[in-house]
Amino acid sequence: MLLPLTLSGMGISSLADDSPLVKSILDTNAAVGDRCLVVIYLNGGNDGLNTVIPLDQYSKYYNLRSNIAIPENQVLKLSGNAETGFHPVMTGMKALYDEGKLGIIHSVSYPNPNQSHVRSTDIWMTGVDANKYSETGWAARYLEGRFPNYPANYPSPAMPDPLAIQIGYVDAVALKGRVQPVSISFEDPSKFHQMMGTLGSVESSGLPCCDAGDLVSFIKQQQILSIGYSAQIKKAADAGQNLAAYPTPVGVNDLSEQLKIVARLIHGGLQSKIYFVEMGGFDTHAAQVGTSTTDGPHALLLKKLSEGISAFQNDLKLQGIEDKVVGMTFSDFGRRANSNLSKGTDHGVAAPMFVFGTGIKRQLVGTNPDLTNDMEPLVPNSSKSQDIKMQIDFRRIYSDILNDWFGNSKSATDAMLFGNYRTTSLFSDTIETVSSGSWPDRAVWSSNRMPGPKDYVKINTGHKVTLGQNITIKNIQVESGAELKFLGKISVTRTG
Amino acid sequence: MPYLDTYTVPLTAHTAAHLLRRATMGPTRQEIVDFTGLTPAQAVARLSANVSFTASPPPPIDYDETQPTAGQQFLNLPYSTQRRVAFNIFLRYWWVGLMCEQNGNPSILEKLTAFWQNHFIVGQGTIGDYRISYKFLTLLRSKGLGSFRNLMIEITKDPGMLLFQNGNVNQKVSPNENYARELQELFVVGEKNFAGQKNYTEDDVKEAARVLTGWQVFSDVNTFSSGFTAARHDTANKTFSSYYNNTVIQGRFDASAGDSELAELIDMLLRHSESSKHICRKLYRWYVNPNVTQEIENNVISPLASFFASPANNFAIQPVLEKLLSSEIFYQESNVGAIIKSPTEFAIGMVRFFGQEIPDKTTDYVAFRKMMEFVHWNMAGLQLDLLNQPLVFGSIAYYQTGYSKNWINGNALGIRGVQIDKFVHPYIEYKPGKLIGIDFLAWIKSLQPNFSDVANTPSITCELVFEELSKNLFAFDLTAPQKNFLIDTIMMKSLPRSTFTREMTNLRNDPNNINNKNAVMWRGGLVMRYMMRMAEYHIF
Repeated sequence: MLLPLTLSGMGISSLADDSPLVKSILDTNAAVGDRCLVVIYLNGGNDGLNTVIPLDQYSKYYNLRSNIAIPENQVLKLSGNAETGFHPVMTGMKALYDEGKLGIIHSVSYPNPNQSHVRSTDIWMTGVDANKYSETGWAARYLEGRFPNYPANYPSPAMPDPLAIQIGYVDAVALKGRVQPVSISFEDPSKFHQMMGTLGSVESSGLPCCDAGDLVSFIKQQQILSIGYSAQIKKAADAGQNLAAYPTPVGVNDLSEQLKIVARLIHGGLQSKIYFVEMGGFDTHAAQVGTSTTDGPHALLLKKLSEGISAFQNDLKLQGIEDKVVGMTFSDFGRRANSNLSKGTDHGVAAPMFVFGTGIKRQLVGTNPDLTNDMEPLVPNSSKSQDIKMQIDFRRIYSDILNDWFGNSKSATDAMLFGNYRTTSLFSDTIETVSSGSWPDRAVWSSNRMPGPKDYVKINTGHKVTLGQNITIKNIQVESGAELKFLGKISVTRTG
Repeated sequence: MPYLDTYTVPLTAHTAAHLLRRATMGPTRQEIVDFTGLTPAQAVARLSANVSFTASPPPPIDYDETQPTAGQQFLNLPYSTQRRVAFNIFLRYWWVGLMCEQNGNPSILEKLTAFWQNHFIVGQGTIGDYRISYKFLTLLRSKGLGSFRNLMIEITKDPGMLLFQNGNVNQKVSPNENYARELQELFVVGEKNFAGQKNYTEDDVKEAARVLTGWQVFSDVNTFSSGFTAARHDTANKTFSSYYNNTVIQGRFDASAGDSELAELIDMLLRHSESSKHICRKLYRWYVNPNVTQEIENNVISPLASFFASPANNFAIQPVLEKLLSSEIFYQESNVGAIIKSPTEFAIGMVRFFGQEIPDKTTDYVAFRKMMEFVHWNMAGLQLDLLNQPLVFGSIAYYQTGYSKNWINGNALGIRGVQIDKFVHPYIEYKPGKLIGIDFLAWIKSLQPNFSDVANTPSITCELVFEELSKNLFAFDLTAPQKNFLIDTIMMKSLPRSTFTREMTNLRNDPNNINNKNAVMWRGGLVMRYMMRMAEYHIF
């Protein structure tokens, strides 16, 4: 059946009503056009294994890093998820998980991982293969596609606000567009307006040649846009209100202060689509724990992160705009699975990402890293170094956000991300197959985990799945040309 | 096209200003005059010779007049945890002061030191100990012009670097790769070549870390030092990849193993053909143009790197810098204005260009501190915190796509504007009766010949005043429409230009009348504030 449904002028009538996209739209209140994304960058490479702890393999975890391991009895247990726990300071994020508003994407990275901060961050921000380069950021490519001819035709009546906002001083590469950043950056919305308000009109005749001319026109464009947008930003800041309590800021540019501004602007009606905030200090080569492994610098970072996200989400709830906002975290890379002798961790590969908001439909993508089989190298070498292998390419998350959260077309998303990335079903009730194989094999499934009682299941055309165990799921759909092969007498319980 | 050939045309004001803007933190108006007419070779030789004037300045003192140690050197006192934060900051003031005060003898020293400070990061926020920070800065200032090989050896053993990059915990039983990685990725070889291919392997990082095991930092309240502990050293052989011709560094176990293996490691890194290019490319981006094309790579970076690594030069920095600063490519018109001013060039350039007095840092240290508070915190507010950079890569404007464009966004422009306002409309007192900023009244009065002889000497015009106020302010001459706009719309607020001459006459007739003073002062401030907020002011 075709569902005639048009949102933001984008016809999506060709999609069936059981498609993940249509379902997610039907189930939510906020029009797709009003949705926004908050990106939290954890600068330095967060130690994933001390953030999300694999309780199902505690002794292996402990042996990898006995000098920094979190004691088993202090790991925060998650509701309905015995296998995984959080660092003890992350009480706010644990509560969000338990309420269904926070998801964990396990072991995120990309093929041929790079362990240079600069390069790896660049790969995450530009969204390219490890051996490719791009001058533009992934988020900028999306926004420039959605708002054509930026900055020439903007601000416009249809889009009077900046396409994206960055709280801070230095523009993130993720928001670098073809000619200009697609974001406006500031630290404080009212101060920003004050500073910009005094700039006056800018004389713009006669550019010098070559690089100098390019730089002058760049600066002029920044002046014009910033002046143009500063009043809009102030208007939103004045109209918006923070209704939740935020933790007391520590130092300048504290994460929770940045998120507080973002919540106020969204509440005030700012129509910017992407908000970028940043928190530094995650490059923990030495002394990441204190006298006890549950305190010290890394614990403090996670505490700030958890408190910030939790206060922000609570604020959105009190403001009544929870359904408009989805957030995600990312970092340069994960850290080495084994700790070093200086109670720190060196640069590694895969690490968990968090996504949060009421818009997510899935709280777990991927599984805990298997501390035997997901290790690289499989057998520790002379320096005893082992990294955690990738399960989920980060661009699959970007792709899901663009397709399913922002309602971008799949073909446009593929062009923006320079490739076709399979869904992780992050925004869908339905787990679908991505290859043939045996039912319990995580690699068969879009979410990289075996479906459970809360999941609809779809076996895609061309895939053959063999089932040798009893299962409980909501429902299952086997596409034409797909096969579900029972190995013996199997019971399939359907609850939905 | 000639690239590294020596440029021989005598310097004009335009090219002299270009050289001084790039080779120093920015010229005074007088320095531009002094350098005009020199050949580039003479000018660069003078900038080098002038290093001797500031090579060994007296160490910093306690600039806080309320403290018992006010005005005294503090580095030789027992370490003070209580004053740690203040002394770290005073150390920055001390260095910023050296950048600001050239006393008519501008030199290449501080700009090059700032280059190294961005190349090797030892952040005070991580280190804490101001004595270690001073030692690091002293190393950069005293060895930065010499042999890069020796500098690398010293840097590797520097207590600050050992602490910042965790070299001090790098030991046989648990190697810490942090320094070994940056040594190759950032400091010597570069992560990849110009074509984007990797220059080494992950195993090379691990092997280099093993070479460097055993170095430690020892400190107490009276002394600190770095040293090698043989028992912590990995004595096995270290084998590198084909990128380094499969070099094997022989494992050693005696007390000199650390030094011997380190020297071999640095020599091996320097033998990598990309190392000299990496350093020369970074120097080119710092001094000439961040935009390195294939043409520049082939014709400037490669030959400069060959010269740098040649047996005759043997990795000496100063000759490479001199060659670059006197080359055809440096003076090529398309390289003028090709960089956006960093916070250093913006904030220090401002006090230098307008001839702001820098109080003597020993005899007038309170006034000095107040001046440095202004300059230093202006830079810090624009995200450049000298000696306290947060990340090992230095400022992103020197490595990330867009390069110097990264200094600018709406927020940064707003902050620069506010800082300009403070300087153009002075109100911050740095000593009794003296304000930080431009004294337009004094400046414009000084332009008037025979100020008191109103009857026989005509009053100066707004065009003349404008020419003086805008001379060498920009990397390029303003166009005629720009000048007319600035004079008529901004300076004269659409009044006839003759109004200014009348206002000038009024001032000369009654120089103490507040309205007469304000009228002239106001016009100077109006046009200067506007010019300094123009995009053109922010490139150099």
